[in-house]
Amino acid sequence: MIPFSRRRLLQSASCGFGYLAFSGLARADLSNRPAPFRARAKRVIFLCMSGGPAQLDTFDYKPQTGKKPHPGSVYDFSQHGESGLWISELMPETARHADKLCLLNGMHADTGIHAQSFLQLHTGDRLRERPSLGSWINYGLGTENQNLPGFISLNTSRPSVYSSSFLPSIYTGTPIGTNGENMARATIENVTSNHLSNTAKRKQLDFVQYMNREHQAIRTGDRDLEGVIQSMELGYRMQASAPDLLDLSGESKATLNRYRVGQQSEPAGTCRLSDFGRQCLLARRFSEAGVRFVEVNHGSWDQHKNHRRDLEANCRATDAPVAALLEDLDQRGLLEDTLVIWGGEFGRPGLTLGDGKDSTGHNANGFTFWLAGGGVKAGHVHGSTNETGARAVTGKMHFRDLHATVMHLMGLASEDLTFQHAGREHRLTGPEGGKVAKEILA
Amino acid sequence: MASRSRIILSLIISFSAIHASEAEVSSAGRNFFENKIRPALETHCYECHAASSEKVGGKLLLDTREGTLTGGESGTAIVAGDPDGSLLVQALRWEHDLEMPPETPIPEAVLLDFIQWVKMGAPDPRSGKSIQLAGRQYEEQALWSFKPLTNPTPPEFENADWSRDPIDLFVHHGIETMGLSAVDVAPPEMLIRRLHYDLTGLPPTYDRVREFRSNCQDNRQLAIEELVDDLLASPGFGERWGRHWLDVARFAESNGNDGLSRNPSFPHAWRYRDYVIDAFNSDTPYDRFLTEQIAGDLISADSPKQRDRQLVATGFLALGAKPAKAMNNNFAMDVVADQIDAIGTGILGLSIACARCHDHKFDPIPTRDYYAMAGFFTSTETLWGVAAHEKLTAPVTDLHVLESTPHVPPPADFKETVVNMDLAKGVPKPIPKSKWKSGTPLAMGVRDRKKPADCKVNLKGDAKKLGESIPRGIPTAYEFGPEVSITNRSSGRLELAKWLTDPSHPHTSRVMVNRIWMHLFGRGIVGTPDDFGVYGERPTHPELLDHLATRFVEDGWSIKRLIRSIVLTRTYQLSSFASQAAFQSDPENRWLARHSRRRRDAESLRDSILNASGNLDVSRPSGSIIRHRDILINIAGASLHQPSNHRSVYLCYLRNSPPPELAAFDLPAFIKPASKRETSTIPGQGLFLYNNPFVIEQAGQLSQKVRESSRKTTSRILSAYQMTLNRDPNPEELYRAQELIRQVQSESNSEPLAWTCLCQALLTTSEFRYID
Repeated sequence: MIPFSRRRLLQSASCGFGYLAFSGLARADLSNRPAPFRARAKRVIFLCMSGGPAQLDTFDYKPQTGKKPHPGSVYDFSQHGESGLWISELMPETARHADKLCLLNGMHADTGIHAQSFLQLHTGDRLRERPSLGSWINYGLGTENQNLPGFISLNTSRPSVYSSSFLPSIYTGTPIGTNGENMARATIENVTSNHLSNTAKRKQLDFVQYMNREHQAIRTGDRDLEGVIQSMELGYRMQASAPDLLDLSGESKATLNRYRVGQQSEPAGTCRLSDFGRQCLLARRFSEAGVRFVEVNHGSWDQHKNHRRDLEANCRATDAPVAALLEDLDQRGLLEDTLVIWGGEFGRPGLTLGDGKDSTGHNANGFTFWLAGGGVKAGHVHGSTNETGARAVTGKMHFRDLHATVMHLMGLASEDLTFQHAGREHRLTGPEGGKVAKEILA
Repeated sequence: MASRSRIILSLIISFSAIHASEAEVSSAGRNFFENKIRPALETHCYECHAASSEKVGGKLLLDTREGTLTGGESGTAIVAGDPDGSLLVQALRWEHDLEMPPETPIPEAVLLDFIQWVKMGAPDPRSGKSIQLAGRQYEEQALWSFKPLTNPTPPEFENADWSRDPIDLFVHHGIETMGLSAVDVAPPEMLIRRLHYDLTGLPPTYDRVREFRSNCQDNRQLAIEELVDDLLASPGFGERWGRHWLDVARFAESNGNDGLSRNPSFPHAWRYRDYVIDAFNSDTPYDRFLTEQIAGDLISADSPKQRDRQLVATGFLALGAKPAKAMNNNFAMDVVADQIDAIGTGILGLSIACARCHDHKFDPIPTRDYYAMAGFFTSTETLWGVAAHEKLTAPVTDLHVLESTPHVPPPADFKETVVNMDLAKGVPKPIPKSKWKSGTPLAMGVRDRKKPADCKVNLKGDAKKLGESIPRGIPTAYEFGPEVSITNRSSGRLELAKWLTDPSHPHTSRVMVNRIWMHLFGRGIVGTPDDFGVYGERPTHPELLDHLATRFVEDGWSIKRLIRSIVLTRTYQLSSFASQAAFQSDPENRWLARHSRRRRDAESLRDSILNASGNLDVSRPSGSIIRHRDILINIAGASLHQPSNHRSVYLCYLRNSPPPELAAFDLPAFIKPASKRETSTIPGQGLFLYNNPFVIEQAGQLSQKVRESSRKTTSRILSAYQMTLNRDPNPEELYRAQELIRQVQSESNSEPLAWTCLCQALLTTSEFRYID
């Protein structure tokens, strides 16, 4: 008889958050806390390309092989930078930063259903509402600036993708704008008023919070009420810092121009007017101000018909702003500890040159993400798809593996960052767990 | 037809087989399995141990009862009653050579569930056989919602005093099975606030709370019944419950962004809103209510007025959001897809619309079924109006002209202020003249085409690539009821409505009673109220769901009577206070051992603020602020909203430009049927309460009333508490409120400002915003 089963041994060995969660202490505050392991990145900017970007005409070069035409890249690719990364002619500005990128060409996902895969990309689960990646990271690390939310989602879609779900609601993403609408009009509403002085506002809030705490104290166990108290406090503090951050009037004309703020003139097919440049510039400003996780959205890349026209429009709308963001982060010394993530819920099958077709579908079996900064190898390619780009064959990474890798870069261990809910321990990477792609660590 | 009969036959056979096996499993055993064991098997084991696995590990199948009992290569998996002797438990413990799941052991709590389950004798309600439906294999439980409605006998419970209704017996049984215990009933002041919120969306007055408390001392049950009847009879009932339906009907007063940033107004949509509110207030039977919305133009009417009402009802099928017509060959079929979704998700809780391009990925809905239903709507003319005369968004259609409804021309000084620039010419585009005389009563809706016809399959959803023609009809997965036969003389919508409202329809009544339950308890018996399909949640109380559905149908589909029965149960009247342990053991309150605390929704919060300030105008406004505006609202949307003291349901629900006084509190987008509102807690809500001009304005007016109520500070504070929280402050609160007034007044030198500050604070509290 062995005194300790392996199960028990594993349990006692797991420390930190797992233990914390098991003891029923749910940490619900945004204070900045040290990462339990070595952190290569301190913050994340997630450029979420909703709809499934066509990887074979952007970052996964598939030239024709053999005699018979097969699906592959239909745009010209060339090699860029010292690393010689192959990047499509549709991304000329991003290509200038080839030596900063780490391409993940072996991504794969469970399903080609938009809503489900999009949810899984954000939360690890296809069907149920679960905490979003940004919420988990804030749960683990808090955030640097106590006057702003730790998780901001620009031009976002439905609340379930930025929800903290069963995690304390202080970790919920704060939405600014809605995908499909023009970012130029999006702001944080109701951020100021002048009917009361700042002193009176503080006294008023103190009174409200006294009432709220008394109200909560006799309603034991209700976590929503704690969430209200914290979000009222954070909302109060945002009044001081958010207006300045949203105001771009202090940015130089050259900067606004580089980001193409307000310059996207025409929508085309699935590519909506979104003022993506404004989003990227805001993302930089929020990151600089110490927001832990900023998500930037563009879509839709779901170009079924008129594939070429719509893909070109999507690339045109995003290429220069993304390049400007990478350039600024680099120049300001932020790139080394800011992890930039680019990708969508899946990819698309390739077109075949010369067959006259201009429509694509969904492909969850092989697609591309890229990372930059934040302690990943630069000018590097990890993973590959087969010769038609139909499926990932080497360096395969599921969303779970991506999540585990992002957490690892942030100094968190995805298997340890757990939360006790409804009698179970939950974690972002689910019961299957995710594998850190060690090959891409710088 | 032959294939359909075979499917039906196989379903009947399998269902009866299941009934036999289910009888052996106690209800408690089933509950335990469904809530603890099945999810764990699905999460931790099915990847390698199910028929759907790529490679079945150790020849062990855990996705059927038979497989679980038989075991795999290593031998019998379970010895009922003996956890230590069961290989399955040994493997999960990671104690011997066999360590499952291979990468990480399951959480301790789940392991304990498995041990408990084996101790119970491993009750397993799953059938050994799977069902073939729509060309796919299903484990029988997956198709639970397709099974015929039953009328289960309530479980017995010796404590006769506890139960007031059979509903209580079903709920109590669940509480007991899960090892929980129910809390006490709510005190009168908690209950009256809850009833007011649930039935009308408005808070009670301070005096009414006191009166109710004293009535309860005399005869609690009688006092509650009187209150409930009173609330059900008030116009506020239809305004609250009508709003719930408007979410399902994806009701909105503009099209929303068509994808090319154009958003035409729907100036006549408000008539449908009023129709829905009136239908709830007059307790129109639900089967009649549905029939009017789907086929109101095809049924006879007793009077011209009734005829108008029925035409307006068909707006249900016309007010969906449409994608631009420009460069879109599929526009007409996009409109049909929205109509199928309104029926599928909105009424049946099934995403039939998913089968437009391919057979449904999960549910038994083949593409053929989709086009069988599409035929009803391609044989129907949808009347949305001129869509701002923007042909690239949608072609101009006719509208219903109402015969007995008054003409209301725009006021003499009405001038269109929203202009759309002609970018090429740099001048405002002229507003085209309407073909109807100004003020003609018009309504969105549908009518039959002259030549109804079946619809051809659009291959991969492409309207230009046509496949075979599919006879109009209902989805083949249904096994009950009469055959639906459609003639070539009509679209078949009336037959569709008859089928939907057939008393034996397994979805129509279940979906509706579940939504009613959800609005009263905060969570449905089925947690995914718009998805009763394979990937939706299973009911926590399947027998209760069927009991309610059967009762609903037998009671003439009366929504008011069902709500009345439910709110008079002990279950509904339980307190929302519970111990920390109770919250932890059932955080989502699936088992209803307490009542769930809920946040006021957007409409109720605004209405309650207006109510507190004394400004709420409970009368119905005439029409809508956009009734004379047939325009592209695009970016002008936000500027169209006007201050109003009417109830929120009468604000202008423009897609992509929701009423700013509601937008911070999780309004849906009104693009798809959505019966369940999200309840996020984000700092933007705090910002709304601190800084929104509406809140500040109402706080100011409330403070004026408070100051007028007395000259004494303490009396004023009492008034402020009574008007906002319907109670008196306790001494500590009184002291702190006095301090706030004193400090703000001395700092600002303004008495009104100090009282506004206090009043706004009270409107901001959790107590004001949450319902116990």
